[in-house]
Amino acid sequence: MIKGMGIGDDGQTQQSLRDLASRWLEPFRVPKRFRIITDTSNFIRVDYDDVVILDNRPFLIRHNQKEGRFGLDDEPKFWVKSAIDLCDGSKKIIKLVFHERFQARIGDLLFDCARSPVKEARILNLVREHDHFMHGYSVQDTASNIVRVIDFISGQTMTDYASAEGVQHEEYFTTSFPVILNEYIEAVRAILFLHRHNEIHGDIRRDHLLRDTTAKRLRWIDFDFAHGPNENKFIHDIFGLGNILMYITGGRDITTQVLRDEMPHLRSTITEDDCNIIFRNRVANLGKVFPYIPEALNRIFLHFSRGARVYYDDTEQFLDDLIRAADAVHGA
Amino acid sequence: MKDKHIMIAVDESENAKAALLFVAGFIGGFHGFSATILNVIAVPDRDMFASDDEREKWIEDRRESMSAMLERYRDILIQSGFPKTKVRTELVISDGRPVSSVILEKQKEVCSCALVVGRRGISKSEEFLFGSVSNALVHNASNCSVWVIEPTCGVT
Repeated sequence: MIKGMGIGDDGQTQQSLRDLASRWLEPFRVPKRFRIITDTSNFIRVDYDDVVILDNRPFLIRHNQKEGRFGLDDEPKFWVKSAIDLCDGSKKIIKLVFHERFQARIGDLLFDCARSPVKEARILNLVREHDHFMHGYSVQDTASNIVRVIDFISGQTMTDYASAEGVQHEEYFTTSFPVILNEYIEAVRAILFLHRHNEIHGDIRRDHLLRDTTAKRLRWIDFDFAHGPNENKFIHDIFGLGNILMYITGGRDITTQVLRDEMPHLRSTITEDDCNIIFRNRVANLGKVFPYIPEALNRIFLHFSRGARVYYDDTEQFLDDLIRAADAVHGA
Repeated sequence: MKDKHIMIAVDESENAKAALLFVAGFIGGFHGFSATILNVIAVPDRDMFASDDEREKWIEDRRESMSAMLERYRDILIQSGFPKTKVRTELVISDGRPVSSVILEKQKEVCSCALVVGRRGISKSEEFLFGSVSNALVHNASNCSVWVIEPTCGVT
């Protein structure tokens, strides 16, 4: 028996695991022998077909999760594994402990960041009954690592869900966008819920917001990022919310390159002040590009532009303005 | 007559040192002034540390270096003419709160009539993403003047 666990690494245990796995896998995919892991400290070692035991519950490890970031597509995240809960066959994401402290970059700016399993575990507990977040729980392995067991969400990221590719923007804006906007308002409300509990998401971007195809709603994922000191701890989240709003309004990022290639007649009308305050190649003043965007919505974008004189400093202001803008969009 | 009390909020930056030197050059040697040199240690959130021990060590290291800095700055004011008994130093741990709100809390506590800080000269995007302590002080201070010192203002 493995100390402290109800599951041993003997022949009987191996047979039990094979029996469990055969309920959920094709017969030819059931391994003859499982490597059983109870201490996940060396997460690189946790591999395909291993069984991780957490709180007496066996999880059959499948692949490393991947993430596109900083211009790199599909970077494997070796500490995040897809898995099958062998007790009920459900798909899970197992997030192992990776204490990473680093400098993140937004535009030209660098700031201190860390991955915090404690933070994510705390927020998972806070949002366990909230519809607009991923769900799961945390459990300690035998080495006291705080492992998070997340319910797998089947769905699209906002990049795909709010894409206007292949349709005229005005058609997207009048048909798909109003629906997406209503759903997005609920997602913003969810972030306000976090902020009111003095928590931050920490890494708000459009591939951390999924449209759950089963539940048919938006859900935030991956909230393990912590940030260094800031005069306003919520500002990174607010900036992320603004960026997603501009993306879903444009149906894509409207960059200066897009203007050059597809709308050269507008290029001379867009000034530096019209561009995103951090991402200087993205147009924030979308009203200049799409004149049918209601002013109430465009005013929100301008708070994220280089020409802004006043910034949002709390999510409630942003949400209030967004609700007013949605009225204008629906009335348009 | 009661002294006029000035609080200088400093960190390890050159701009903060310029603010201190400004006070030394501007007021040092005049009668009727006392000063508090304040440093706020902006401790990153607990979530930024792998353990409480790591956090404690971070704070201790910081406290040591900032205490030494405050002593050096105290000597500068004394050399400029402030009486020894009228210059005090204070070190505060921010523990997640904005630095500006800790400074204002201390300013109220010591009833300083002027609050002096250096101007970092940050870009607009930096101000947006990280906030500006001096801006927050100018906007939120009450019953107190706020002097935001340009590093190149020349009174040293």
